[in-house]
Amino acid sequence: MNWLRHPRLRLLARLILGLVFLGAALPKLADPPGFAKAIWAYKLFPAWSLNPLALALPWLELFCGLALCFGVWWRAAALWVGALLLSFCLALTLNLSRHHPVDCGCFGTSAPKTQAQRLADMRWTLLRDLGLLLLVVQVLLSAAPGKKTR
Amino acid sequence: MSAPRPTTLLRLLALAALAGLAALVSNRVAGPTRRLAWRGSLVVAVPTMIVPPAREPVAPELAPLTGRENTEVRLKAVAPQTPAPAKQVAPAPPEATVPIRELGSAEALAGFQAGWPFLDARRSAEFAEGHVRGAFCTSVWEADLEDRLIDFKAARHPGPGDPIVIYCSGGDCHDSHLLAEKLLAQGYFHLLIYRDGYPDWVALGRPTAKGAQP
Repeated sequence: MNWLRHPRLRLLARLILGLVFLGAALPKLADPPGFAKAIWAYKLFPAWSLNPLALALPWLELFCGLALCFGVWWRAAALWVGALLLSFCLALTLNLSRHHPVDCGCFGTSAPKTQAQRLADMRWTLLRDLGLLLLVVQVLLSAAPGKKTR
Repeated sequence: MSAPRPTTLLRLLALAALAGLAALVSNRVAGPTRRLAWRGSLVVAVPTMIVPPAREPVAPELAPLTGRENTEVRLKAVAPQTPAPAKQVAPAPPEATVPIRELGSAEALAGFQAGWPFLDARRSAEFAEGHVRGAFCTSVWEADLEDRLIDFKAARHPGPGDPIVIYCSGGDCHDSHLLAEKLLAQGYFHLLIYRDGYPDWVALGRPTAKGAQP
């Protein structure tokens, strides 16, 4: 199973994670009010926290995406990305468990959908986030302790 | 996976600090439609009880639009954007029995013909693409909402009990409800939410206009 910790696989995982988070950050940076509305739809956050989250989260995604792509501070970026993905999974799971369909808001606003479409999308999004979480685990595990990292 | 080293922890904090700083700067330089207030969210957590519309009252429906001529004819047939003059035949605004009530399609048209003000709670970009003719752009998610509400009040001078129609995109759009909650907090208690919203208005071929709020 050593191939799972191969540096090239780590590079690939880093690039995938980095590009996904860059792609997720840009539409949100372009429209913070739209993202605030998307967060509000989850009905999980207090009203006072919506705007600060909508303003800061896309920038965190952007910096983490850049760090992962360019290999700078990638360990810290992977930890942030892992934490973000865990929280996204939790938010989706909670809303799925209470049959509350929401637009993911992951890549900006999307076209109107029916409730059934939204619930189906949420399940796929949850699977995707779990897959990305596995990539984060690979990135963090493959960095042998003691090796010099930037 | 070993515990993060001190340098990694510092970098974690540095990434968060960078994100916060970038958010501060970008929000400061952003235009009003992209800006957000850091504090004092516009959103109310728990909505007031909203009464669904009663049975649709009989209201004069307009024939579907088929061409430009029809548009002109129909636009003449409805009330102008400005408040209806006293002589105009218009239904007297019903008494506000509940502060926020949903409005059916026919009742919305009757209100439009009576000169009730319409507030568009959707995003300003959507407003520019098309809106109820004479409506005010009051996007509940944009930072200049207060200014836009001030403009609306200056233009229409609504009394606390005067009917105000609020709409968004219909369906599960809640922006109109959020705006109604905000206006309720400001002392208005005759707020009518056009339940099916702008898509319904367009589908029924009612008067619309395009362009941003001046």
